[in-house]
This record gives sequence, C-alpha cells and structure tokens, in this order.
Amino acid sequence: MKGTYLGEFQEVVLLTILVLEDNAYGVSIQEEIEKRTGRSVSRGALHTALTRLDEKGFISSEYGGATAERGGRRKRFYQVTNLGKSALEEAKALREDLWSSVPKVALQKVQA
Amino acid sequence: MNNRPPKYFTRLLAWFCHDDFYEELQGDLEEKFYSNIQQYGQRKARTQYRLEVLKLLRPSVAKKFRVQTQNNNIAMFKNYTLVAFRNLSRNRLFSAINIFGLAMSMAVGLLAIAFVNEIYSFDQFHENKGRIYRINNVRTFLDSAPQAYASTSLLTADRIRAEVPGVERVSGMFKGFSGDLATGENNYSFQGYYTDEEFLRIFSFPVLQGDPKSALKEPYSIVLTQTLAEKIYGSTDVLGQTLERNGKEYTITAVLKELPKNTHFHFEALASLSSLRNNEQTTYLFNWSTMWSSYAYVLMQENANMSAFEQSLNQIASQENAKMEQQSIALTYERLNDIFPGDGKYNQVWTVVPKSNVNSMIILALIVIVSACFNYANLSIARSLKRAKEIGVRKVVGAKKSQVFTQFITESVLVSLLALVLAFFLFRLIRPEFLSLNYYISRTTTLELTTTTYICFVLFAIFIGFLAGTTPALIMTRLKPVTIIKGVSNMKIGGGINIRKVLIGIQFILSIGFAVLVSLAYKQYQYALNFDLGYNTEAILNVELQGNDYEIVKAAFSQIPEIESISGSAFLLSTGSTNSDYAKLPEASDSVVVYSMRVTESYTSTLGHQLVAGREITSQLKTKQMIVNEQFVEKFGFKNPEEIIGKTFYYYNDHRMVVGVIKDFHYGTIYNDIQPFAFIQPEENQLYLTNLKLKSADLPATLEKIDDAWSEIDTHHELQASFYSEDIERTYQTLSSSMKTYGLLAIIAIGISLLGLLGMAVYTAESKIKELTIRKVLGAGFYHLVALLSRSYIWILVIASAIGIPIAVYIFKTTIANNIQYTISIGFWELAGGALMVLTVAILTIGSQATKAALTNPAENLRNE
Repeated sequence: MKGTYLGEFQEVVLLTILVLEDNAYGVSIQEEIEKRTGRSVSRGALHTALTRLDEKGFISSEYGGATAERGGRRKRFYQVTNLGKSALEEAKALREDLWSSVPKVALQKVQA
Repeated sequence: MNNRPPKYFTRLLAWFCHDDFYEELQGDLEEKFYSNIQQYGQRKARTQYRLEVLKLLRPSVAKKFRVQTQNNNIAMFKNYTLVAFRNLSRNRLFSAINIFGLAMSMAVGLLAIAFVNEIYSFDQFHENKGRIYRINNVRTFLDSAPQAYASTSLLTADRIRAEVPGVERVSGMFKGFSGDLATGENNYSFQGYYTDEEFLRIFSFPVLQGDPKSALKEPYSIVLTQTLAEKIYGSTDVLGQTLERNGKEYTITAVLKELPKNTHFHFEALASLSSLRNNEQTTYLFNWSTMWSSYAYVLMQENANMSAFEQSLNQIASQENAKMEQQSIALTYERLNDIFPGDGKYNQVWTVVPKSNVNSMIILALIVIVSACFNYANLSIARSLKRAKEIGVRKVVGAKKSQVFTQFITESVLVSLLALVLAFFLFRLIRPEFLSLNYYISRTTTLELTTTTYICFVLFAIFIGFLAGTTPALIMTRLKPVTIIKGVSNMKIGGGINIRKVLIGIQFILSIGFAVLVSLAYKQYQYALNFDLGYNTEAILNVELQGNDYEIVKAAFSQIPEIESISGSAFLLSTGSTNSDYAKLPEASDSVVVYSMRVTESYTSTLGHQLVAGREITSQLKTKQMIVNEQFVEKFGFKNPEEIIGKTFYYYNDHRMVVGVIKDFHYGTIYNDIQPFAFIQPEENQLYLTNLKLKSADLPATLEKIDDAWSEIDTHHELQASFYSEDIERTYQTLSSSMKTYGLLAIIAIGISLLGLLGMAVYTAESKIKELTIRKVLGAGFYHLVALLSRSYIWILVIASAIGIPIAVYIFKTTIANNIQYTISIGFWELAGGALMVLTVAILTIGSQATKAALTNPAENLRNE
C-alpha cells in the first residue's frame, strides 16, 4: 500500500511533532531531530518530508502569529492528524509484532 | 558586515520558491540564521544560510513555472507584423535610417561571412583530410634567425617512405613542371608539378579518365586537367596521346576533373616525379639543402602516434644536418587544415591568405556591425516614447512581458530581414571592390555564393535582429501601464542619455580615425607614385622577351618609327627587385656590397639617367664595362667622379671597367635608401625585358604596331607589355590596398555614424519642440535655437576628433609607414582634411534638423498640443 507507507524519516518527523506538542514548526522540528538523533537535517529535506506527510493526510498545519526574529514572517505550526496517529500506531504494532516473533536465540550476539 | 541574511540567496529563494511555502520557509531560515549568529557567529551563519537555500532547490519547493500554452501564436505574430509595418510606414525617415544603416553594416557582415566561409572551405573536399599532413622546413642559416618554410627537400619524402612507421602514404612534389607543351603543331604554355603516384591517392582530386593509382608511376607520364586537355585537344578523350616538353615526350595517362578553386594547389598538369630520377641533371633536386620549391605530404595511418612521427623527423633532420655546413634544417609538420589560411610560412605552393588577414576581417566586420546595432537600439529607444501608449494598452488588455518582448524582437528581426535584402544588393556592389582590395584575396577567393552562405546570411540577419532588438525590447517591456496612462510627458525612458552620447562618440572616433587614415594612406600612396626616382619612366613601355633573343626583338621593333630608343634589361628597377654582390678593387681586400642590374647599351639614355662623368656602356668594346652611381664613387673613397673612370673592379665573378658615373637614383622603392649601385653588361640569356621609349601622339596605334611586330617574332606567346608607371603602381599595391580598405571602412563607419547622428538630432529636435516653441514665442533668435540644439553634439564631435586623430596617426606610423624610408611629413592638412570632412557633414546633419526646428511657426506646434 504505497499511499500510506511511512518512511523512516517521516516517522521520526511525525513523532517529533507529537513530542513538541504545540510548538511544532520548521525550526523547532529541525532542532529537535538534530538534538535527538545527532544527524543534521536540512530545511529542504524536512520540507520534502512534511509535504509528503501532508499529501498523505498525516499532518495538518496552521499559521501562527508573526515574530520579529523571523523578519515579520509567520510560523507554520504542524499537528498530527488522527490518520497520522493511527499510521504511527500501525507502524509501532508492526514492529512489536516482529519483535515478539524474533526468537531469543537469534538476538544473541555472535562471539567473534 | 551587516546583520541580514545573504541578499542574493534570499532573492534566489524568492524567485524559485512556490508562493505557498515562501513565507514559512524564508521565516524558518531567517530564524535559524539569527540563532546561528548567536551560536556560531556571522560567517558560519551566512554559509549555513546559503547552503540551506541551495538545499531547498528541489522540485517540491519550486513554483510551477508556467509554460505558456497559446493556441493563437500565429494570430499574434500576424498582428505584430502588421503593427510593425504600420510603424515603419508611419515613421518613414526613421525606418529608412534604421534599415539603411543596418543594411550597410550587414553588407560588410555578408562579405565577412562569404569570405570566411570560402576561406575555411579550402581543402575540405579531400576524403582523408584529417590524416593528411605537410612536412615543413625550418631553416637556420649561419647565425640568422630560423625561418619557417612550407617547402622541404624531395629527400624528406623519400626518407619518410623508406624509414618512418605509422605512415600510410607519402608523396613528394616539385613545382618546376611548367613552360610549353607542344603537340607538333602548336605550343601551349601551362604550369604544373612533378609528383609521384601517391599524390592522387592522398588527395581526392576527381579523375575523369585513366587510373589515378598508377597514372604517375612511369617516367614521362603526364596527367592533364580537364581545362588543359580541352584547350589542347578540344576533348578529354586523350589517354595515350603524347606531348613534348623541352625535347622529352610525355604520355598522357589520366585526365582530372576541373580542379576545385578552394584548394591550396594550383596546377594544370602533373608529371611523374620518376622522370626526374636517374638523371644527372636533376639529382641535385634530391639533395637535403634543395628545399625551395619541393614539398612533401604524408597520409598518416588511423590513430598514428604523432609524437613518434615527430621523433623520426628529428632523427632524419639531425642525420642530414650532420653532413652540412653553414645551415641546419629542422623538420616540422602541419595539418592540411592549417595550410590555408596559413601562418605566413615562406615558399607556399601557391598564394595563401594569412590567418591574420582573416581575423582582422572578422574584427572589422564585428566593429561595423556592433556600431550599426547600437544605432538601431539608440533610435528605437529614442522613439519608444511614441510607442508607449500602444504598449500601455497592450498591457492593460492583458499582454504579458514576454509577449511585449516578442513583439519588439519580431519587429527588429523584420527590419533586419528587410535590411538583408538591401544589404544583399550592396554586397553585390562592393564585392568586386573587396576582391581587388588585397593581393592574397584576389588571388584565392571568388566570393561565389553557395547554399551554405545563403543560409548563413538569413541566420545572420535574424541574429542581428535579436542583437539590435534586445535592448529596446527590454526597455519597452519594463514600461508600467500606470505611468503611461498618467502621462507620457513626464516619463524617463532608457535612462542613460550619457551612455548614448558616449556610444555616439565612439562611433565618431571610428569615423574620424578611418577618415584620417585614408587621407594619410592616400597621401603616402601618391607620394610613392610621384616620387622623383632620379630618372625618367615616362612613356617607357616594358615588353617581356619571353625567351626570345633580345637582338631579334630589337631588330623587329626598330622598324617602328614611333619608338625613339630601345634597350634591354634584366628586370625592372624601382619595383622592389634587386640583385647584389660584393665588389672590390682587384688589388684591395676590402669589399663593398653593390646593387646592380644587367642592361644593354643605351639603357641609361633611354631611361634618362644623368651622366656625371664618362659615357654610356657600348657593345663595340670587348672589355666588360660598368656604370656606377655617386654612392659607389663615395664608398670606394674617390674624391670626384672623373677619378673613377677607367678603374677596373672585380664584381660578379669578372673584371669590369667603370666607363661612366650617373647621378644617384632610386633603384629601390620608398622602403629603401640609396646604396652603391652599378649597371653591368648581361651574359647570354640574362635579359628578360626590353624597354621602349615611345614618342607618339597616337598611343593605341603605336601599341597595335608593337603588337603586330611581336606576333611576327613569336607566334606562341601573347605580347606582355606594360608602362613603367603601371609597374610602379603595382609595386605599391600594399599601400593602395590598405588605402582602399580604410577607405571602404571609412565610408561605412561615417555613413553609419551619420545616420545615428541624424536620428538623434531629429529626436532631440522633436522632443524639445515645446521648449523651442516657447523660447521662440518669448523672443529667442534663430542662432540661439540652433546653438541650443547642436551644442552637446558639437562637443561630442570635438572630443571624438581629439581622441580619433592621434590614434589614426599612431596606427599609420606603426603599420603603414612602419618600414618606409621616405614618408610624407604629416602636417595640419593631412590630419585635418579627413577629420574636417567628417565634422562638416556631421554639423550639416545636426544643423539641418536644428534649422528645421528653429524655423517652424510656433503657432503650428502650440495648436497641435
């Protein structure tokens, strides 16, 4: 099911938006991801992910008030939609299902 | 450093970013930028910002660049064309100026295109052109500078064939196959080459009859071109026939199709090179140092290793040089494509146009074209006021910027296509002039038009349309409908009036410069022609002996009463030819270089030389005699001319007695000063000319008699005669050709700049009409008004001449008069003549417009308001 497939980065973005609660906009999402994962994220890459999520209906957005530090430009705040939340749960359930099916033995690290 | 994000990157983002995202993204980037400044400092924050912007260049961010989907394109172009024609016919004067100005410069452009096309088509028809190379010699004699020759020894070809790997074919060629071919009844003069059977396999000259592979194998084989075969036999079906040259029978083995004109070869017949082998008289041709009229061509194998080839050449050269004294010869090679146009090597096979000539032609054409394009732009911008309303309406109705742009480009392309038609006629008009401009050009090019040239012409016109139309079109595009509707009168159009003035100024610098150059070159040319040579060349007719015995010719011409006196000479003095050798007194060891020419008795009297002492050469005396000039007397340390009479000098391998002294005269050209000189007596077969002094009222009749007398002596050759003055004129051809070149350019440059000036003057007068009318009503006088309109232009002209004249003088001194010993003195009139002419016409142009404006009845203009 191509339309609702959730890519790894997209999943991270979705979760970050949930973490940030009411303060999820471009810069904060970017910084939060960088802080938590330690990888640098360009605004361009983030934009692409947000656009894809928006197209799938996983997030919605609205403009906030303008602030001076942004040259008078408004922030766009993102929220995760119900559809997005169930997509996240689905992804999580899929993994848990997989985790529980993995035999313990297989997880033991091989001694070299 | 300011505290704002990098400006151009913000602009870039604004340009490509979709409007829906711009606010968010730009805001985010800016916020991040400021926090980065706090954290990492300015520099890093800016770099980061730039990178972020660049990383945003992705399709999901970009706005949808709309591709115009118009289905009424044709209708719009129809409309543009219609409007363009309406405009052209409404402003007849401006249209005429524009079209004519463009046409003049385009004619030069067409010349350049046809010329360059033709020049670069040389030797392109050979199938293997990419793999053909010519071997060249670079010869160093004693300690003089090395000189590059296109020629090489025939030995080079032989050794390459025998030793060098990687070479598919080698051909040696020797130029000396010329003279007369005899069929038994008739003689036909021709010129051609000796070459081997490889020649026709390396080069793709189409063959009509015979087998090109073997045609030149056997000794005394001959290959004719179609023209020569038809001239001799009236047909090309001539295989196996024999022709006699210098007592040898040559058998025709092949006939070539007419040679294309665009090849660096020039021959009517080819003879087998093997005819020259195994022959004692011609073995010297295969010496390493015999390199003056023989050539070697190679066809390399595919992907041959050229550096290995070069090494082999060096090896051959060093082996051969080891056997020689005084000189050394290095071998180089050049691609067939680099032969024509060439880089000025000596001893070319035939005339080769130097690459520098081609380049200067292109540069001059570009100057003229750019100048004319500027005129068009300038006038169109000046006229754009009148078009503003049209554009305003178009825009209000919904024309996009690109549509307005297209409209004006269409218009200028249209104008330039109209100009092309006119330019084509001008091109036909100046073509013969151009061809006769310069020796190289007239010998090699025809400027015949091919399909490619025609296509180039049309493309060129379209290109010129774009070039000339872009600036005005952009300016029109930028007009805002609101400003137009508010009122045309307070609009500023085209901005920099100063830039326009500068450009007009540059045009006039060119015009005045060329005009001054022409007048200087003309003066120098006249000076050279009327130069007092120190003897009399008037009414002297020089007739080439063409191998006939001088005494027989003299006897025949003596019958003609209109011939006052007859003499013979080895060549023509004062036309650039000279001979020289060391002369010394038999007992002395010091020698002096003395120039000389061999002449018969009565030469000095025929040519009106003034004897200072002694007498003329006479054939009565057994002793070898010579006549010397005053320089000679002085150089050998004699006090006065009488002392030297009777002295014997060792000169030209013989003892010669001085019998007379003549006044110094210019045996050379204005490029040389006077050195010691001597007239000496000829040996057998050393005379090439007879000089006839005519005294006749009816020149054509006399010439007829001479022609008749000639045809009785020599039935094979036409009379070749020319007056001395014509020969001298020919000597100064370089001067006359630079004069003509500058003349042509001057006419075009002046024409174009005057048209530009006229246009600007008309425009100024029109746009100031209200001011003028009010001034007039308030009592301004006629001269006041004229001065008001012309003042700024007069200044431009004055400054242009102040810059143009010194540049012209500098160019004259460094190029034309560079190595001339006797130059004109450059005075006021030499400089002012050309400049004043340009200035007068320019002032008349401005004045006519100013006068017209100043004389109109004020009521006319005010009523029209």
